[in-house]
Amino acid sequence: MESVPLTWEEVARVYGRKIYNFAYRLTGNPDDAHDLVQEVLIRVRRGLASYQPGSFEGWLWRITRNAFLDDIRRQKRRPTSPLPDEVDRWDRASAESADVEYARISLGDDIQKALLDLPIDFREAVVLCDVVGLSYEEIAQACAVPIGTVRSRIHRGRKMLKESLA
Amino acid sequence: MSHPSESMSAYLDGELHGAELSNLVGHLGSCGRCSAELGDLQRVRAAVRSLPVLELPVGLVPEADPVVVPLRRNKGMWAGAAAAVVIAMIAIAALVTPDPQTSINELNSRFGARASLDPAFGPAKIVVPPLVGE
Repeated sequence: MESVPLTWEEVARVYGRKIYNFAYRLTGNPDDAHDLVQEVLIRVRRGLASYQPGSFEGWLWRITRNAFLDDIRRQKRRPTSPLPDEVDRWDRASAESADVEYARISLGDDIQKALLDLPIDFREAVVLCDVVGLSYEEIAQACAVPIGTVRSRIHRGRKMLKESLA
Repeated sequence: MSHPSESMSAYLDGELHGAELSNLVGHLGSCGRCSAELGDLQRVRAAVRSLPVLELPVGLVPEADPVVVPLRRNKGMWAGAAAAVVIAMIAIAALVTPDPQTSINELNSRFGARASLDPAFGPAKIVVPPLVGE
């Protein structure tokens, strides 16, 4: 049986980095990713009390995805492509670690930009598959769509990425 | 000839099974166009998977081990735990800072504050229960 984290702090420690990477790859923006992780953890904290045993990861990623979509709706704007300039605004880390992080982020600039050009549904499916590492079934649960739709979105997303990166 | 293009990503992800899998494998053996497309998809997939894993910004999630010990439940039982907590905190203080004057209150403010993500819920705190006899 799947082990379910008992507290939001444990969820944060176990899944925080994955959620942050998901958020960053969807938004392309460290500040937005930071805010999204906070929002997800607040929702997790509220939701854990009424959590029904089942697929915890499906539940968690549904929360994460919904938080992202709510943010998109709230801002009523498409996520912009800030790299690499906005990395300089990342003042939460020390200057040294920011430099290290900048170098790491820069390695994937072209791919990140190509991801941001994808329609949200395709971007989300590709990121959940290739960045987070979820199975098609888990992605289907998180996005509340049939597995066939997941398969189609991932495939079409990759074909678009291929064109962007060519 | 129909080209099972949409099956290819599922194939790369290990999500293709049964007849669909064997049909695609058979087709790839005789279709240069689909073999080339599979190679393209494989490169794209590898590129996304090669994106660096980003570390969490400092302070975004709570640090491990905020020690919270319930007060006044069973003094006898908690006396031992309290002693262990105090010893552990002293040991942590010795590791964190060479200053022997570091107090429990200083530790409390330092680690308690970092353990809080959302101020609305109040900071997690290290609570040291009273020792035996209180």
